[in-house]
Amino acid sequence: MRNRNATAYRFLTPYLLIFAIFWVWPIISSFLISFQATRTVPWRFAPGFNWGRLIGDPAFFNALKNTLLILVIQVPVMIALAMVMAVLLNSPLLKARGLYRFAFFAPVVVGEVAYSAVFRLMFSLDFGIVNKLLNSIGLPKVDWFSNVTPAMALIMIAVTWRWAGYNAIILLAGMQSIPEDVYEAATLDRVSKLKQFFHITLPLLKPVIVFCAVLSIIGTMQLFTEPFLITERGGPGGGTETLGLLLYRQGFRSLNFGYASAVAYTMAGLAIAITLVQLWLMREPK
Amino acid sequence: MATVTLINVAKRFGAFEVVHGADIDIADGEFVVFVGPSGCGKSTLLRMIAGLEDISGGEIAIGGKVVNDVEPADRGIAMVFQSYALYPHMSVEQNLSFGLRMTGNPKADTDRRVKRAAEILRISELMDRRPRKLSGGQRQRVAIGRAIVREPQVFLFDEPLSNLDAELRVQMRVEISRLHKELGATMIYVTHDQTEAMTLADRIVVLRGGHVEQIGRPLDLYENPDNIFVAGFVGSPKMNFIKAHIVGRDARGVVVELAGEKKTRIRQPLTDAAPEPGRKVIVGVRPEHFGDAGEGDADLAVAIDVVEHLGGTSFLYARTANGEDVVIQRDAAKVPDTPAVTVSIRKSYLFDEKGLRLR
Ligand SMILES: Nc1ncnc2c1ncn2[C@@H]1O[C@H](COP(=O)(O)OP(=O)(O)O)[C@@H](O)[C@H]1O
Ligand SMILES: [Mg+2]
Repeated sequence: MRNRNATAYRFLTPYLLIFAIFWVWPIISSFLISFQATRTVPWRFAPGFNWGRLIGDPAFFNALKNTLLILVIQVPVMIALAMVMAVLLNSPLLKARGLYRFAFFAPVVVGEVAYSAVFRLMFSLDFGIVNKLLNSIGLPKVDWFSNVTPAMALIMIAVTWRWAGYNAIILLAGMQSIPEDVYEAATLDRVSKLKQFFHITLPLLKPVIVFCAVLSIIGTMQLFTEPFLITERGGPGGGTETLGLLLYRQGFRSLNFGYASAVAYTMAGLAIAITLVQLWLMREPK
Repeated sequence: MATVTLINVAKRFGAFEVVHGADIDIADGEFVVFVGPSGCGKSTLLRMIAGLEDISGGEIAIGGKVVNDVEPADRGIAMVFQSYALYPHMSVEQNLSFGLRMTGNPKADTDRRVKRAAEILRISELMDRRPRKLSGGQRQRVAIGRAIVREPQVFLFDEPLSNLDAELRVQMRVEISRLHKELGATMIYVTHDQTEAMTLADRIVVLRGGHVEQIGRPLDLYENPDNIFVAGFVGSPKMNFIKAHIVGRDARGVVVELAGEKKTRIRQPLTDAAPEPGRKVIVGVRPEHFGDAGEGDADLAVAIDVVEHLGGTSFLYARTANGEDVVIQRDAAKVPDTPAVTVSIRKSYLFDEKGLRLR
């Protein structure tokens, strides 16, 4: 038995080596770097330098506030929307189900740059289809890129568009694993379809919903592409700057890797904390 | 309580017809079992009565009222599923009360019904458990309990015992019988197991390939099957079928000779038009209708392959000179110790080539 394990590990060695060098080491190394002052040459060990700065940095708190705001609004809205989409996909009345399933999933595989460019076009002040539509129903044009609130809304719309279908497919898979005869029993119990949804589908789907929520929280904590490409590096004036963007600016613009590492660890720590709270809130009653 | 009437009921899935015009009349308070091999349309028929499947043709009436277009919830039926279909995230108590709670039934009444069902089924001490924490037999009781609290006019059971082990199956069979006596409700019960059908039913409906083959009381089916299918399906071990042909006929009946057995001739009184001499027929003999040589209508020499001892009785798996397999039931004390033995046929049934009973 021992011998066989040893053989297995020998086969795994190449993978484990690469994993250690490019995965484990950076995690450890960035943790160590977060305790060093990296604007001096050579770097020197100064535990309070980055972490101390973090606590008093308005840019950090701005990014944190934006990230959490997006998280708190976008994730629940998206999961609710994904649930509606999953229910529609699961409806026996739906024709051409495969086509919809593909259409809902497609945004995930579209290149990020391409999708961001299309969103910039769609939401542009004078030529964008969105403002044309708003106009046509009598609403005023919105300058999506120059005001903070519309810009934040735009980021949330874009992220939701990109990931709602993905979550809907996961929820759909969960729904389809609920046996049909449970619903038949409820139908014979005179329980309406709406009550079946709230008292059978939702509770039985809880683990899947938690899974989707955790994935989305982790994703949103790292949000970078949309504020970088769509609202042009967190514009207007840092109004949509996220922690991911702050990390990028500190690390790769200012080459301040110590501070960037501290931000990265804060993001990871927050994601873990929120996820744990989430799991605790949704735990199975004894 | 209510009657259930099926008039020429048909079911098609697309162009594929799975139930072909069933006519079944079920009396108030009767226990009727639909029995037949897997895939014969038993569940489909039951689900049409429940309203879980549309009716493609014909009419179903419950309590004298045609229910073709009535919602399942309004038909006054309750169903017990083969898979139990319990709500996995609810306790036993919640499983029982769910339907009543959701429809705004007064709480005191709901509590009373749940308590009564739990007492009838002796599951009162399980009320706080989740279905996952119950044994198969306990889940089955909860599923039945959920039907009881609805206080339906008609109970429908779809193979409720087929997921249980043999011993529990016998025990639950007795309980369901007791339940029927206690509640006095009309019950329709689907199974592929003829023993379950024979032991539970007031009347049995035998189905094959979407056709009703015969309807009757258990002993009527056993003693007087209409055709070779029913004859073979009812009774265990199943009836032996031996090829034969007509060698003579007169006003009172026919004489048949078993194929390849020149000496084994049986006289059968027939009131139907008797087939002509030379026509092929099939003789059916139940294992328990073989006797000692010389004591029945005709003797038959067989060679024993295998003997199965069940204690009081034994089954001899034997072969005739013509190479036909037969099963013979014997008292354990009377099992011969030589492989070659002559038995007599004490009672037999005659079927024509199409399998219809000649009588
Ligand atoms: N939803 C369905 N679509 C198509 N064919 C079906 C469907 N349900 C059942 N059938 C077919 O109808 C026949 C009868 O099925 P069923 O009533 O479940 O049989 P039983 O319960 O007697 O085993 C089978 O041939 C089965 O394949
Ligand atoms: Mg079935």
